Amino acid sequence: MSATAADAMMAGPKRNAKVADALSRSRQRTNRIIKALCVTATGIGLVFLFAILATLLWLGFAGLGLSVFTESTKPPGSHGGLLNAIIGSLIQTAIGTAIGTPIGIMVGTYLSEYAVGTKLGDAVRFVSDVLLSAPSILIGLFVYQVLVNPFDGFSGIAGGIALAVIVIPIVVRTTEDMLRLIPVALREAAVALGAPKWKSIVMVCYPAARDGIATGVLLAVARIAGETAPLLFTSLGNLNWSLNLGRPMASLPVTIYQYAGSAFDDWVQLAWVGALLITFGVLALNILARFVLRPRA
Amino acid sequence: MSSTMNDSENKPNIGAMEARSGAILSESRISIRNLDFFYGTNKALKGINAEFPNRQVTGMIGPSGCGKSTLLRVLNRMYDLYPGQRATGEVLMDGENIIAPGIDLNQLRSRIGMVFQKPTPFPMSIYDNIAFGVKLHEQLSKAEMDERVEWSLTRAALWGEVKDRLGASAMGLSGGQQQRLCIARTIAVRPEVILFDEPTSALDPISTLKIEELIDELKRDFTIVIVTHNMQQAARCADQVAFFYLGELVEVGTATQMFTAPAQRRTQEYITGRFG
Amino acid sequence: MSQSVASPKPFVVASGKSGSAGDAIFAAAAKISGVFVLVLLGAIIVSLFIGGWPSFRAFGLRFLTEADWDPVQNVFGAGVPVYGTLITSVLAIIMAVPLAFGIAFYLTELAPIWFRRPVGTAIELLAAVPSIIYGMWGFFMIVPLMSQYVQPTLIDALGDLPLIGGLFQGPPFGTGIFTAALILAVMILPFIAATMRDVFQTVPPVFKESAYGLGCTTWEVMRSIVIPYTRVSVVGGIMLGLGRALGETMAVTFVIGNTNRLSTSLFGPGNTIASIVALEFPESQSGSLKLSSLLALGFILFVISFIVLAISRTLLRPAGAKS
Repeated sequence: MSATAADAMMAGPKRNAKVADALSRSRQRTNRIIKALCVTATGIGLVFLFAILATLLWLGFAGLGLSVFTESTKPPGSHGGLLNAIIGSLIQTAIGTAIGTPIGIMVGTYLSEYAVGTKLGDAVRFVSDVLLSAPSILIGLFVYQVLVNPFDGFSGIAGGIALAVIVIPIVVRTTEDMLRLIPVALREAAVALGAPKWKSIVMVCYPAARDGIATGVLLAVARIAGETAPLLFTSLGNLNWSLNLGRPMASLPVTIYQYAGSAFDDWVQLAWVGALLITFGVLALNILARFVLRPRA
Repeated sequence: MSSTMNDSENKPNIGAMEARSGAILSESRISIRNLDFFYGTNKALKGINAEFPNRQVTGMIGPSGCGKSTLLRVLNRMYDLYPGQRATGEVLMDGENIIAPGIDLNQLRSRIGMVFQKPTPFPMSIYDNIAFGVKLHEQLSKAEMDERVEWSLTRAALWGEVKDRLGASAMGLSGGQQQRLCIARTIAVRPEVILFDEPTSALDPISTLKIEELIDELKRDFTIVIVTHNMQQAARCADQVAFFYLGELVEVGTATQMFTAPAQRRTQEYITGRFG
Repeated sequence: MSQSVASPKPFVVASGKSGSAGDAIFAAAAKISGVFVLVLLGAIIVSLFIGGWPSFRAFGLRFLTEADWDPVQNVFGAGVPVYGTLITSVLAIIMAVPLAFGIAFYLTELAPIWFRRPVGTAIELLAAVPSIIYGMWGFFMIVPLMSQYVQPTLIDALGDLPLIGGLFQGPPFGTGIFTAALILAVMILPFIAATMRDVFQTVPPVFKESAYGLGCTTWEVMRSIVIPYTRVSVVGGIMLGLGRALGETMAVTFVIGNTNRLSTSLFGPGNTIASIVALEFPESQSGSLKLSSLLALGFILFVISFIVLAISRTLLRPAGAKS
């Protein structure tokens, strides 16, 4: 040991300064190049976002007028609007949220409060995570198979249910995460007062996690408001005014899809207006969700 | 230079004993002049003046938040990683102010190494952990690198325990071994100064003892600055002790003087456990 | 006195009883909801399989490889859309991953602190834009750009090269596999970037500091410390992006060109499973072999994306890991 140490000691504690300098220069250069590439990558990402927003504003604003909100979709050339599509979207989104949210909250509660460490809980969490990113078109096909085809009809309610299936895993994830953040001391304090478990969950944990769960619901609404594929096979779309949940129902995304691919200039123009409305609506919901989640000082 | 080293090689503890018993400290390796340090607008170090003697151990003590760790992080400019933190004044090493802008930080950090509170093995083999830092600053052949790895692990008193599994992951070592690996990794770069930030606070007593012996051994070649919460550790390891309180350097002196006859009442109170 | 001590007793028992009944009901409701999620997944798989069964029975395993899709002859094969799905998704990953890495690196290590949140939010908003918007934007903005500038340039530059030249030949339609992959790349970019950023942030600062302490540059810390630490999760994030790309419908439908022929050139038109289902579904009679074939395609897509998402999920949230 002392021989090795002494040998190395001969080399002296000083390095070859020239080599270190040269290495340092080339390392710094690599570092600078990579940094520049990363700034560029971020710039490209932002350019995409602003290019999309600019396109929407540029092409969408041109056709934006009061009639968009007061008139239903009409044949080409007859100055129609998007009223039925907007209302249809609101209805189906509301149905999807109304059905999906309670189920999602219960599943999230189950995962966080009852199923910790159980096999069943792990399975549910796994499946919910997979559903979170599952192709939405398949959810449309599924609802077509179980609700539309057997009962022989596209309907607004089927569209709402397809959207609910998309809502569930989003709400599950945020509910579980938010409930997990609640300190054990808070639950123990509730239990120490003699509250049964379900009451301590409902009266103490839910209010404590309220902002987080609300964020999840807002994000879910934002997600389904723009969904097209699952509605193609469920609510189908309807060019006429209809509030009948048992009949095909118009929606903004499906109308945009039909209009954007058409050969009529005024329809394409309306598609851009719809795209503008839906994108800024969805982005506003996202920003609102972030605002809700941010802890109040 | 090498002759004195070879002399002390045979009787490693004599120099340390002399330094600790006598009041004579060697010439200064790092000099601090009027150093102020800010976290944003909060002044964490106030007008520090200090000398770190060459090839001796300086222990920095004081209650939590007194600024001792902050000073350590000034010495290798670690604070540069965090926006809003800045230092003013002078920290002189070889006549150069190392807190001035325009200093090559990567090279500075190769001259001033640091060992952290918790062991920080990198997610690679034991061998690569050592070679990693060396490769940043030197171009060595395979044989030279093998030699360097063996040398640094030997100096860190770890060679015997790991020589048969250099290719194994460093994450599999015990806490004490990981900390010695981090010391080996630091000295492999052959710095001039090594900073220890409470290096034994996460370790058991036996590992702690090993690290303390190691520090005593290392000061033959390196100037050492150690932050510690443990008064006994400061007494055992340090040649010079500096006491910090509320961002000020209250008192600095030889270990003997500081622990037997401190000049300041606050030092006396802290050392005897009246506060902190 | 003794009475007042004793009197709360029955009250406690009573409330305990109602509490335990309430507890049992609530726990059962929670558990049923949990099981419902499992049933839901099972139902999706089964319904697609049953729907696709006539087609599987008619064509057997050949359905997977058969490249013909001919409604007139009533012959259907999944070859072209399966190929299109895989090639567009893989190309999209190849384009998106380096960009996503750059963004994540920038957001965790390089950007000024005050700048990280707004830029991070902007990137996340890119993920929130509905896919039909990407489709429209791609069709009206990117497709003309591709056919006028990008594709002619690439065809001139690369079309005559040996081996890979064939990938860059043919007329510059603007639509096609390459454009679809590009749009997909933009769509999955924010997912991958956000995941990478989140996992990069889990590396304890002291590890990064000790690498800086040895004299590492920022890039060296990223390459030697952060990436090895987070490798598994980074791959999980990339798989998540892949899973998204595989099933993406509207954006692809607008720009892929929609042909059921195999194209050797990346600029040639094609189809993906999702796009062929979206396009041909309205023209399919209930009970027809064509509809069954579309459902069979859906089943295949489900299996592929389930595998990819399951891998991603396992890498990102390892079993037993506590959050």
